[in-house]
Amino acid sequence: MEALAQPLPAYTALAALGVLVFGAFLRLTRLRAGWTPYRTWLVMLPIIFAALWLGIWGWALLVTILSIYGFKEFARATGLYRERLFVLVVYAAMVAANVAAYFGRFGLFMVAPVWAVGALTLVPIIRNRTEGMLQNFALSVVGIVYFGWFLAHLTYLAIWTGGLGLVLYVVLATQLNDVIAFLFGKLLGRRHWTVLSPNKTVEGSLGALAFSVAFAFLNWPLAFPELPWWGALGLGVIIGAGGQIGDLTLATFKRNVGIKDFGNLLPGHGGVLDRLNSLTLVAPVALHFVRFFFDGFP
Amino acid sequence: MSFEYRPMPDFGLPLRERLGQYPRQPDLTIDALRTAARWIVVGLVKLQFPTEVRGSLPAGERIALVANHQSHLDSLVVLAALSERRRREIACLAAKDYFFSRLPMALGGSLFAMAVSFDRTKYTELRRWSRILRDQRRGCLLVFPSGSRRRSEAHDAILFVLAKSGWTIVPVAIAGTRAAWPVGAALPRPFRRVRLTFGPPMSDVPTRDLAAALGEFWKANA
Repeated sequence: MEALAQPLPAYTALAALGVLVFGAFLRLTRLRAGWTPYRTWLVMLPIIFAALWLGIWGWALLVTILSIYGFKEFARATGLYRERLFVLVVYAAMVAANVAAYFGRFGLFMVAPVWAVGALTLVPIIRNRTEGMLQNFALSVVGIVYFGWFLAHLTYLAIWTGGLGLVLYVVLATQLNDVIAFLFGKLLGRRHWTVLSPNKTVEGSLGALAFSVAFAFLNWPLAFPELPWWGALGLGVIIGAGGQIGDLTLATFKRNVGIKDFGNLLPGHGGVLDRLNSLTLVAPVALHFVRFFFDGFP
Repeated sequence: MSFEYRPMPDFGLPLRERLGQYPRQPDLTIDALRTAARWIVVGLVKLQFPTEVRGSLPAGERIALVANHQSHLDSLVVLAALSERRRREIACLAAKDYFFSRLPMALGGSLFAMAVSFDRTKYTELRRWSRILRDQRRGCLLVFPSGSRRRSEAHDAILFVLAKSGWTIVPVAIAGTRAAWPVGAALPRPFRRVRLTFGPPMSDVPTRDLAAALGEFWKANA
């Protein structure tokens, strides 16, 4: 019983239970659209938990691989992938950010994008070409900051004392927030509210926000017991609102480029970026919220 | 000024299909894996199968090596006999329904044997390949025109497409691979001798006689 009071064993058990309950829910509601993403979750969840059980290095490795693969999808969609040197600099920046986070070098971690963008400025000079360079440079900066450095905050979260609970909460709550928004939208959704993602409904978004706040309080004693009540409330709002803003940001990118999904690696979800869209924004905001107001964990 | 996005030509295709496409699109991950796999397979083939190579591969920008087919080992021994530059660019036409219907097989075929997908069940496939070959400025193809390890005669159609697209047809006769990795065997039998004969380019052979000329070359050397 003592082990279940620890975040990792407890969340592993809860995730297994959640998978069973959600499977039963899909069967009862006969919501056919949910089965394909559900099957993909059956593969993704064991990978996430295996990485966490392996330790911080396992988690840092998973975050790095996901960042690189996610950026690869972005680069292939925008055509940046033709410029190998830009892509290699972004890959190197992603590895460096995660290494800095893994070793807990906060100063280095915070300036990693500065060094990486500095390295990017050399690429047009080495290529000795001007055509398309502004676009490629800008897209690479997005890759370094948004897909690399933002996601590397997940590695930094994990190294704090007691941070594992926060990582588990942020990852699972963000993904659950997406699922709840999808379900509320499917079951109750009437009014569409944004052209960025035409399937989003007011009911789905508000339902997901309310659920996220409630879920934060449910997780409070297990994931971040050191925080006061308004800390839990803040995290709930960050997940509920931030997750949907992250989702819309990537939806904007996709519509701007003219594609539906960033890839097809994850059946029912699209590409890795289509799954990470909410987490990309939530991870840094959650970390800096907790760090700013509570200086890590008081 | 506005940004202009040009997604990669194979964007949106499943990995299985991306692995089998020709011409290959640059992909850092797949290219690195293919290089590593190629080095491994060439090393293993050279270590395990003493190979005698007769004749030499002519220089040229667009070369089609047309070989007899009797074993999965055929493409690997040809790969091992080529220069590293040729190995990098070679593509081996492989049946889509056999090699590219499942991801593990597609990975193995594409990374280790440099396979690209040829859909022998589609009657428009030759027309598609004809367009691809015409547009291709340089390359090296390995073709088994019999289409199967159990058949010895060459199909005319693919030879016709190659010749009409302006590719130099180089006959290759492979001997000894049937015993080294028989049809139906799960694994190869190491330390069998293999012989590879590169013939002269068949530039002056009339297109309608290519299959017969190839048959004679294979009969004499394989």
